[in-house]
Amino acid sequence: MTVTPGGPPNASVIHDIGFRHYDGPRLGRGWAFRSLLRETLRGAFGLGRPAKVKIMPWVLIGLICVPAIIIVAVTIFTGSSDLPLSYTQYPIAMSLLVSLFLAGRAPYAVSRDLRDGIMPLYLSRPIKRQDYVYAKLLGLALAVWIFVSTPVTILFIGALLAKFPVRQQIFGWLGGLFMAAVLSLLLSALALALASLTKRRGLGVAAVLATLVLLNGFVSVLISVVNMQGSENAGWYFAALDPYLLVDGLSAAWLGVDAQNSFAEPQGALGTVVFTAALSLILTGAVAFLLRRFRKVGGV
Amino acid sequence: MNVVVMQLALRALLGSRRVWILVGLSVLLFAVAGLSRWGSGGAVDVSTGVIVNFGFGLLVPIMCLLIGTGVIAPEIEDGSIVYLLAKPVPRRTIALSKLVVAMAVAVVFCVASIVIASLIAGDQDGELAQAMALATLLASIAYVAVFFMIAVLTRNSIIVGLLYALLWEGVLAGYVPGVRAVSVRQWALAPAEQMVKDNPAIPISSDVGLVTGLVMLALVTAGSIVIAIQRLKVLSARVSD
Amino acid sequence: MSTIELTGVSRWFGNVVAVNDVTMSIGPGVTGLLGPNGAGKSTLLGLMGGFLPPSSGTVTIDGQAVWRNPSMYKEIGLVPEAEAMFDGMTGEEFVLANARLHRLPDPKAAALAAIEKVEMMDARDRRIGTFSKGMKQRIKMATALVHEPKVLLLDEPFNGMDPRQRMHLLALLQQLGVDGHTVLFSSHILEEVEDIAGTIEVVVAGRQAASGDFRSIRRLMTERPHKYSLASSDNRALAAAIIADGSADAVSITPSGLDVQASDFGRFVHALPRIARDADISLFDVTPADDSLESVFAYLVAR
Repeated sequence: MTVTPGGPPNASVIHDIGFRHYDGPRLGRGWAFRSLLRETLRGAFGLGRPAKVKIMPWVLIGLICVPAIIIVAVTIFTGSSDLPLSYTQYPIAMSLLVSLFLAGRAPYAVSRDLRDGIMPLYLSRPIKRQDYVYAKLLGLALAVWIFVSTPVTILFIGALLAKFPVRQQIFGWLGGLFMAAVLSLLLSALALALASLTKRRGLGVAAVLATLVLLNGFVSVLISVVNMQGSENAGWYFAALDPYLLVDGLSAAWLGVDAQNSFAEPQGALGTVVFTAALSLILTGAVAFLLRRFRKVGGV
Repeated sequence: MNVVVMQLALRALLGSRRVWILVGLSVLLFAVAGLSRWGSGGAVDVSTGVIVNFGFGLLVPIMCLLIGTGVIAPEIEDGSIVYLLAKPVPRRTIALSKLVVAMAVAVVFCVASIVIASLIAGDQDGELAQAMALATLLASIAYVAVFFMIAVLTRNSIIVGLLYALLWEGVLAGYVPGVRAVSVRQWALAPAEQMVKDNPAIPISSDVGLVTGLVMLALVTAGSIVIAIQRLKVLSARVSD
Repeated sequence: MSTIELTGVSRWFGNVVAVNDVTMSIGPGVTGLLGPNGAGKSTLLGLMGGFLPPSSGTVTIDGQAVWRNPSMYKEIGLVPEAEAMFDGMTGEEFVLANARLHRLPDPKAAALAAIEKVEMMDARDRRIGTFSKGMKQRIKMATALVHEPKVLLLDEPFNGMDPRQRMHLLALLQQLGVDGHTVLFSSHILEEVEDIAGTIEVVVAGRQAASGDFRSIRRLMTERPHKYSLASSDNRALAAAIIADGSADAVSITPSGLDVQASDFGRFVHALPRIARDADISLFDVTPADDSLESVFAYLVAR
């Protein structure tokens, strides 16, 4: 039995003053995703933020380009026939600077969102959870790639100026850009996963930096110890644990160039397979962790 | 010294997640020491490299950073330090009480870790352990004072501290000769070098002389404490956010 | 008895003047520090609490400055706005720690007495991290009361309290005022202050806008004439008609129309359409010139 609202008619009433519903075109999920990506990318370099935030990333860009410029100058003036550091070796040699950049920018991508608990805000828009994670990851990876590629490109320009054989240099440069992309993706996934563990930006920075540095130290000791034991073959498998050595080895395996650290070059087909598998595993593991971390609506 | 401040500081330090990170870092050091032993058969010159470079050069500064900042930075950041500052206790007393606790914890953690790691990695009549224990003792005190000062001076204490520990002490000290003389690591290694100078198997070396090292350690420690106290006196803990 | 004296106090941060030439004297009893957000209330409390030095002027309590003088905290109790506390401790442990820091002769008894005053006896063994916002606020009060200070400074103490907690806090503050303590609390809501503050100090944009008895200030605010801006098809004729009607105090002709001042605005608002229609004048624009709290305060400042 339905109950109809009875009783005396209400004296108060709400008037329709013509509230306008928005019926126009709505940019969809793809646009939202690209916007988030663009925001992350811009935020990584401090664009659209106050000047104080711009200092660190731009100082680091300057620092990482300086050795490249020096190398170019030296190469041209001494008339040598090859670059002392190849396009793929350079990022590995500059690993500390890359780590610093990454450690500084990764928390910016996620710490504020976590602290303010604004996942519901994001998710009440067309984008999905995965979109959020991928947008942040790609945004950061792009930023790191730009960071790493800039000095590599400087090397390329220098090589052209030094009149090195053009074709060879182009391939080398493209190879360097490709491996830089792989490195950026891997590092960004790891860094975001670490940074997403804490709401405090400072702690996130410390966690990423300390982990990368300690990991590198640990793996170095591990490898040298294993080598001392005489099982040199087993030694370089452990290089897969450190992202820089992993990419270093992969550039040797996939592209056939010399790695920055020769002990990181995987031996034979098995080595290549293992390293590639390690890359895929670490990457998917980090992304899965991130997806899970941001699964809870309402912030974690 | 104010006992309540010390108790609160100790509680804050040991009751938080930081202590587990400290434990984890110690375990990492032991693992590395174990690996070194496995690889080198306990050769003391290899152990020295691992203990001095990885343990003393990397892990001890990081542990002291966590302890030196952990005893005051979280309170400044979330504003709860107002409960300590709005009391009839001189700021100097508050700073010193916290520092004492931090130094004690740091010394215990770091010296114990280094000693145990030395023994695990392989030592010669305990000489490596003794020398590095002394170096670690002195370095921990200095590091904690410096990091405490940094924590009072800036909100980004962990980043600044890490940059100092990793960049300055870690990298630059390796490449730039002038920097080596201005480094806690080198100063603290000087007495250790003296202890093992007759033992060629333990290659501890320092770029500074014994007297220089000790004097600089004392100066930097005292200077950091003074600066920290002065800054604490005028810290405007915001009454509201 | 304790009196807080501010004399010609200014405080600036770089180019921003947070407090601008404020002189006030706060004595025993309950005083409310009122003002819109960003008016400088927290800065004033920081100055009085010894956490900021004045850029110029002097801040003293019973003649002694609080800045860089920690021994004064024996007589000052502070209830900060920030919620952060030592979350890992229980309520009782926290108040006890504060009592011991004050070097009280019997800290445990003092802590329990303070906890009882804020009605937190039942929850005192629970960790502060598990407290609700109102409970945290009450424990903050307890830490401020544990040493029975003569002066109590509270920063937005009613923020986030439910009605029952508010009533209780009001009663507590009122009792403290009656007992002769100097209680100063800040708020941006007039009605909160109504019940207990005998004196209020109104601060707007860093400047002192009004001080004195709450009720008389309130009357001053409502008695001020309301201003309206009118635009019509025949301003002069309308002006004459309004004056003739008598519902307005003053009418002035401006390039854009008319400015009308009416103290009995209810009557004026009803009369205006009738006046216009009777004089066959079309009204194009009727805008109240000052409606917001901001302009009310600004009016006080201009006065």
